[in-house]
Amino acid sequence: MGDGRANNPNSHSNNNSSSSNKPEWLEQYDVIGKIGEGTYGLVFLAKIKSNRSKPIAIKKFKQPKDGDGVSPTAIREIMLLREISHENVVKLANVHINHADMSLYLAFDYAEHDLYEIIRHHRDKVNQSINQYTVKSLLWQLLNGLNYLHSNWIVHRDLKPSNILVMGDGEEQGVVKIADFGLARIYQAPLKPLSENGVVVTIWYRAPELLLGAKHYTSAVDMWAVGCIFAELLTLKPLFQGQEVKGTPNPFQLDQLDKIFKVLGHPTQEKWPTLVNLPHWQSDLQHIQGHKYETAGLYNVVHLSPKNPAYDLLSQMLEYDPRKRLTAAQALEHEYFRMEPLPGYNALVPPQPGEKVVNYPTRPVDTSTDIEGTISLQPSQPVSSGNSVSGGMQGPHVMQTRSMPRPMPMVGMQRMQPPGIPAYNLSQAGMGGGMNPGSIPMQRGVAPQAHQQQQMRRKDSGMGMTGYPQQKSRRF
Amino acid sequence: MADFTTSTHRAKWIFTPQDLKEKYKVANQRAKQALEKYGATRMEVDIDGSFSYAEPHNDNAEKHSRPKPLKTEEEKLLRAFYEFKIQDVCDAFKFPRKIQATALLYFKRFYLQWSVMEHHPKNIMLTCIYAACKAEENHVSAEELGKGIEQDHQMILDNEMLVLQSLGFDLIVYAPYRALEGFVNDVEEFYGERDEQSEMIKDLRESAKVEVDKMMRTEAPLLFPPGQLALTALRRSCGVHKFIDFERYLKSLLSRQHPAHPISEFNLSLNAIDTMINKLETPTSKDVKHIDRKLKSCLDPSSHEKSKKRKHRSKEGSNEMQ
Repeated sequence: MGDGRANNPNSHSNNNSSSSNKPEWLEQYDVIGKIGEGTYGLVFLAKIKSNRSKPIAIKKFKQPKDGDGVSPTAIREIMLLREISHENVVKLANVHINHADMSLYLAFDYAEHDLYEIIRHHRDKVNQSINQYTVKSLLWQLLNGLNYLHSNWIVHRDLKPSNILVMGDGEEQGVVKIADFGLARIYQAPLKPLSENGVVVTIWYRAPELLLGAKHYTSAVDMWAVGCIFAELLTLKPLFQGQEVKGTPNPFQLDQLDKIFKVLGHPTQEKWPTLVNLPHWQSDLQHIQGHKYETAGLYNVVHLSPKNPAYDLLSQMLEYDPRKRLTAAQALEHEYFRMEPLPGYNALVPPQPGEKVVNYPTRPVDTSTDIEGTISLQPSQPVSSGNSVSGGMQGPHVMQTRSMPRPMPMVGMQRMQPPGIPAYNLSQAGMGGGMNPGSIPMQRGVAPQAHQQQQMRRKDSGMGMTGYPQQKSRRF
Repeated sequence: MADFTTSTHRAKWIFTPQDLKEKYKVANQRAKQALEKYGATRMEVDIDGSFSYAEPHNDNAEKHSRPKPLKTEEEKLLRAFYEFKIQDVCDAFKFPRKIQATALLYFKRFYLQWSVMEHHPKNIMLTCIYAACKAEENHVSAEELGKGIEQDHQMILDNEMLVLQSLGFDLIVYAPYRALEGFVNDVEEFYGERDEQSEMIKDLRESAKVEVDKMMRTEAPLLFPPGQLALTALRRSCGVHKFIDFERYLKSLLSRQHPAHPISEFNLSLNAIDTMINKLETPTSKDVKHIDRKLKSCLDPSSHEKSKKRKHRSKEGSNEMQ
């Protein structure tokens, strides 16, 4: 790091290119267009000029206007991503800095798909369910990545279909990548309630203990979300589609709880002993204790027989009591994953020849938004959090180089499409700027071997499938 | 959080004593050369994010004799002074020990790459505290921090990206406090939980924490993993509170957890850390006064007679960054 200084006497003269405001590091990319937008900022699709076969997603963080320096969300996401490395977790390829406004840009390898788009395609376009092999493989890989995170004491806190990416064509085709760590937390550190972040996340995947006002997160909140996502993969519909109560800070989400109670039955102290200690249950201003839904109807909703292992797994992920809820490690051991069809590496293409392969559309790209500016020619802003609305973006300007069946509505929601092919060659990213500004090598000397790791992913060292949360090792 | 064994802390930020010496020398030499070439050592961040030494001021630079650069030992003393200050400021704000340790490590890591002649340690000290608060989710606004110690908070913001960048965004650091908690709990179990002991264990823990506080200002955190730092603190604490036989505990610990690891090798590390704590110096502002004066003239040789103008100019500088 600090030794790039030798280069810098020239740095003054580097600024005379055509677009004077363009940060130098940006020169190494061809920015194609915007592919996502959220409270944190924008995501762009780009190609590295020196290696055009490798698309990159660049996440640009908005600089907070409170005049208090670099966005804490950006800092948190970067610092966590710097420490983790797993096949089913997005990989940070580079960090760039725009010194003109002190904004940060994270470069990830690009993933063409995400569970939100895959589910939507099946529901709205092909009108058929996702095949069993794909559902199981997606779920297994999601759990595999999550088990790694939880073993490392990281809770994601914002798992939802749009944050679960799937790699498109290429060596890593059909590999799941968990993305968007802007809300992730290290959970042995004292955790702050969600409300203190001032960030709104979608409520459909929020665990009941959080809806009832629990102040502390455990990894069980992620498992609840996985359960919701599993059900959605099976039925193509969000499992608990509650009406969000807007307002701050963190209002009580009555409808969301009601939707859950309706399907899973009313929680009881017998099934969930610590229920009575949860603030919203205790105060019961909205008389939730009074509502009674006696019969649990989860199997009806997901159309599975109660004897089906898939149902058994799902119901254990949707256990009310977070302490009884299945952990990621336990889930990976579930019978469901040992039955045919077995989960595979490429979730999108079943290994058996003759199986029908679904061609998912590529991501819509809005070429009218420039990475530097915030000028959007199309002001139709995606809706903040819900998945309900497809904010119809009239005919995004689609790049000709990208084959897209037809322009698709840009869906509203926080979306970033990072991901990471492990062995992304950093040297090709080039070093922009005088003193290594921005082009911080993001790897810890493991680049070349990364591909081999794919083969041994099931016995990934350092994260046993059992014994989660991993026993904290003494440090020497 | 995450595992120390796979951390950036272990992979990138544990050095040998030779490494450190070399790094301090390189930074010092570079600043010296800049002083010869440009007449000043202060670095500025350009609009494109590159760094450059401040433009030489021709006006009366010729009339003055060249300022003398700091020697590496003087840099070290100055760093030690500001490291003590970090603890001071963190105490004043009643920040948890973890933040203090994080800020100290940021500061140490920063000056492995830069000379104090290039970036004034007072500014970097505050920026490191600010960044540590952000990383440890104990967010304090720059304004609040600046106010608390009567410093211009703009300077903190101006340096934030520089610090983050110099740290390579490796912001998760492992302080020995956590490991220490683990060992103390283990000791408690090892000796069986008896009521009359709980008070003693409490004393043991507290004095060990004070030992960690001290060692955080030595070079040890750049040389040894947090577990060894914590054990050294525990050993020192046991030396005071004699009721625990540390050697016996260590033997049992190693046989349980690292049967292949010879205790002698282990003791070498603990002894080395121990020596560093014994040699720890805490310079007073009187001790560093002349160094600070020297530093001022290196950073900006025209500063003596033009301190008012300098202030004015630094304001312009910050506008450029907008």
